[in-house]
Amino acid sequence: MEKVNFRTQILNGHLQNHRHATSTAAIISASPCVSYVPPEVSEQPFSFDVSSMRKLMDGHNLGERDWLFNLMVQSKLFNPRLRGGKVFVVPDYNHSMEQQREITMKRIEYLLDHGVFKGWLTGKGPEAEMKKFALLEVIEIFDHSLAIKIGVHFFLWGGAIQFFGTKRHHDRWLSATENYLIKGCFAMTELGHGSNVRGIETTATYEANTGEFVINTPCETAQKYWIGGAANHATHTIVFSQLNIDGNNQGVHAFITQIRDENGNVCPNIRIADCGHKIGLNGVDNGRIWFDNVRIPRENLLNSVADVSPDGKYLSAIKDPDQRFAAFLAPLTSGRVTIAASAVYSAKVISIAFTLFPIISGELISSYYCSILHRYLILIFSHQISLAIAIRYALTRRAFSITANGPEVLLLDYPSHQRRLLPLLAKTYAMSFASNYLKLLYVKRSPQLIKTIHVVSSAFKATLTWHNMRTLQECREACGGQGLKTENRIGQLKGEYDVQSTFEGDNNVLMQQVSKALLAEYVAAKKRNKPFKELGLEHINRSCPVIPAQLTSSMLRSTQFQNDIFCLRERDLLNRFAAEVSQYQAQGESKESAFVVSYQVAEDLGKAFSDRAILQIAIEAENNVTDASIKNILGLLRSMYVLVTLEEDAAFLRYGYLSTDNAAAVRKEVAKLCSEIRPQALALVSTFGIPDAFLSPIAFDWVAANSWSTVEN
Amino acid sequence: MASIPFSLGETDQVLVEEKYATRIFTLNRPNQLNAVSFPMVSRLLELFLACEEDHSVKLIILKGKGKAFCAGGDVAAVVRGITQGNRRPGAIFFRRQYILNYVMATYSKPQVSILNGIVMGGGAGVSIHGRFCVATENSPFAMPETALGLFPDVGASYFLSRLPGFFGEYVGLIGARLDGAEMLACGLATHFVLSEKLSLLEDALYKADSSDPVVISATISEFSLAPNVKEKSAFHRLNIINKCFSCKTIEEIILALEREAADKDDEWISSALQSLKKASPTSLKISLRSIREGRLQGLGKCLLREYGLVWTIMRGEINKDFFEGCRAILLDKDKNPKVHGYFYSFLYLVLCTNILFCVLIETFLPLFLLFRWEPAKLEQVTEDMVDRYFSKINDEDWEDLDLPRRSNIPPYAIAKL
Repeated sequence: MEKVNFRTQILNGHLQNHRHATSTAAIISASPCVSYVPPEVSEQPFSFDVSSMRKLMDGHNLGERDWLFNLMVQSKLFNPRLRGGKVFVVPDYNHSMEQQREITMKRIEYLLDHGVFKGWLTGKGPEAEMKKFALLEVIEIFDHSLAIKIGVHFFLWGGAIQFFGTKRHHDRWLSATENYLIKGCFAMTELGHGSNVRGIETTATYEANTGEFVINTPCETAQKYWIGGAANHATHTIVFSQLNIDGNNQGVHAFITQIRDENGNVCPNIRIADCGHKIGLNGVDNGRIWFDNVRIPRENLLNSVADVSPDGKYLSAIKDPDQRFAAFLAPLTSGRVTIAASAVYSAKVISIAFTLFPIISGELISSYYCSILHRYLILIFSHQISLAIAIRYALTRRAFSITANGPEVLLLDYPSHQRRLLPLLAKTYAMSFASNYLKLLYVKRSPQLIKTIHVVSSAFKATLTWHNMRTLQECREACGGQGLKTENRIGQLKGEYDVQSTFEGDNNVLMQQVSKALLAEYVAAKKRNKPFKELGLEHINRSCPVIPAQLTSSMLRSTQFQNDIFCLRERDLLNRFAAEVSQYQAQGESKESAFVVSYQVAEDLGKAFSDRAILQIAIEAENNVTDASIKNILGLLRSMYVLVTLEEDAAFLRYGYLSTDNAAAVRKEVAKLCSEIRPQALALVSTFGIPDAFLSPIAFDWVAANSWSTVEN
Repeated sequence: MASIPFSLGETDQVLVEEKYATRIFTLNRPNQLNAVSFPMVSRLLELFLACEEDHSVKLIILKGKGKAFCAGGDVAAVVRGITQGNRRPGAIFFRRQYILNYVMATYSKPQVSILNGIVMGGGAGVSIHGRFCVATENSPFAMPETALGLFPDVGASYFLSRLPGFFGEYVGLIGARLDGAEMLACGLATHFVLSEKLSLLEDALYKADSSDPVVISATISEFSLAPNVKEKSAFHRLNIINKCFSCKTIEEIILALEREAADKDDEWISSALQSLKKASPTSLKISLRSIREGRLQGLGKCLLREYGLVWTIMRGEINKDFFEGCRAILLDKDKNPKVHGYFYSFLYLVLCTNILFCVLIETFLPLFLLFRWEPAKLEQVTEDMVDRYFSKINDEDWEDLDLPRRSNIPPYAIAKL
């Protein structure tokens, strides 16, 4: 009853004030009515230099990024809206699917006209590559559909030409692609086969008398499915098909096929249908394609590894189709090695193919393929966007008083609210370092790094995208009803980004693949009795770390302990996984089916690998910092990242890496860290460098944004 | 306490009148075209802060005495200090000026600036940030800093970048001159009132006796009209401006303009190109980047960045365009009095009052060419050099621009933070 009275009093107060509002401005400003105070005003000054920290987080091509942000903010095409005195640019998701697709294409044309894509395919060297990444990241901050549509054109279509094609393809297509004279798409997945590319059913049969390949969709499950760009705009596609020559299947190969003419009409013998409305990404026109005896010239085979001679001879130095596929991928990692079709492969390429073979078995080839070609598309920012919005809102929105007649309490001053958001913030920091690391790994790629790139990108892709979705959900809830409004972005981002756990390799499949790769390392090391020396597994060569029985606060925060416990978990799970698989094999199971039934440990192991790798990257980033205030906050975030992982992952208790007492100490420390990170929350989200216009009204003056005067009558 | 090398006694540089609940501040240095001096800035700041506390004050009107509203910042003291190897006076001047700009932008009561006469540089700083700016048929406006080895400051990276499309880049880099109609069209002014109506407008404002922006706006609207933007105006060329001034670098902007010039015979394009080629290459690059960063930042951050830039420029280590210019004026005037007699008087005007550069440039062009920018060519100004202007300052005598914590900020101003 007391509560009811209190509430009535407050309501009454609001009404009273409202009546006064007509008198003078002085009274309005003095009223106790809930008013918006910008966090910049109410929060303590930052304890570290935000711009130095930002450099650390995405420290490259800042000028280029700003330029592109400027281009978007100043164009009507990017749907600027004035809310609470500020301009926000965010796509209008209330548009129909067709409208979203058209405006996405118009935005691409605008960016093209302003030279944003200059050098994306014709530029050379790490600098051009980093610039491209930076610009794509900025585009992604605006809209996932826009980034994906551009990504499909440049990285799937363009990348396939670049990496799987040879000079004749490069000369003909790269510059045309960069200037959008043609629009490309990438037809790999089918209704019946997604991750398992080896099983696709589309066929390409060579006819020696005409010198053409004939592409066919033999059955409904062979229809190409989810092909981004196919439904409306693409003029050309890369078709993945089984190559048949004289009745022999030579495995999956990639072909260039035109699907629309220059006027946008679908070509003869091609049928295209729409994938329809989706839960998000409706700016991307995903389509389905059927091929009815489509004839393409022999030269359209992307022939970096294998070719067909005019008289119909299959030319390849590598007989095994799996190994061939691996070799096919080799140029991806060795820079611009282009291999003439009939040439004898260099020993190097063949040896890469053989090294790869153990880790890319059977159905997982496709995700392997994706890992290198375009997993770097998964440079997710939506978790940063949503955290910046949710934390800024939590620093200005109050709810409930905890003392009678006292002021209501800021959301972020509730320890429970801190516990919801701040650990995710800490993880986001760790993962941002991880994604930067991945980017550099890709840019510096070399044949020696191929395995690392594959395994690390698989693990990080799954971990980051899962973290992303979790963060979005938590932030959505943390913003209450405001989180449901499309204009506030977070809710919408859930739909836009959900696809990430599926495309470029299903997360679960990827994690299993990581475990398999680790097992392969394990088997190789044991068989040859050699130490581990790759994938960060070197720690297994040392003696097993011992976790103290009674963990104190300072131990919990030490990198020594944190590293130890993550390494302990990884080595133990690897041993367990190896033991379980070999046990099944001893019982007569095949290796493949042994993997399938050992999925539980495999899952735990994949996570253990990923967490440990991310931690080590975060520690290294921290060690490279000289500024004491930045080092200090990074230390807190790192501890939070580790401790919250210990708290949340049941594996630590399940396998006994943590005693129940220690688990309790961890939990307590998490709460303590929350209160220590709390004063830095604003600075930490400011560091993301996302311009105000790309956040949302609730991140700023949400009272003004919702005031009666802004209602359009 | 170090002594402040300015006299604070000259408070008559701002005249104060009281009309009901309105305070009228008149910039009173008509002979110097009301150039903003340190005493003037200090006095204005003092007056604004006092009126904010004073409940009897509801509205502030700011205007200029004589033919100018305000022709810029009086950097004579800065020049003097620099030539003596002391940048402290300059630093103090800019700091106080930027704080004034910030206070005006976040002011809890409406400020109506009556821009009847020249508005340049620092003059824009004391008006554009306020709630209402009334332009007249006599409001030549320009931000001429790139031609002086400086860059558009006083929060210009905030307000220029908020103009439609890439018009802000055009205005800031070229030092383009706008008239009252153009100011209204592009959003620099909120109203346009013929000068003959100004005294009626003032009367109406006193009588309105209100702090409510809606009332004030309605009152001004009664006298205002929507003039046609002249046919030759750059504002009609927004398409070309957006196309060219959205380019990533100054070099690309010039290239784009040259491409346009080749396409069509337009005097406007060639004069824009000329201005770009005459301006300090370093200034152009700094200005472009400052505006681009400013577009993504709040006013506070814009002023902080601008202060860092002005400090680095005064330090003169990377580039001496500003420094050299100043030295030439003050030291060389005796050596060749015949040339420098004119030169000095002109440059004195430029530097001390930012006098209507655009008008005088034609008359004094030959003299003006005596400015030798160093580096002289755009391509010699490397990205690294530009970076250094924007990087963190670690000088011993560096003092951050300490923007005051503002309370009671009106909603429309909160959005500027």
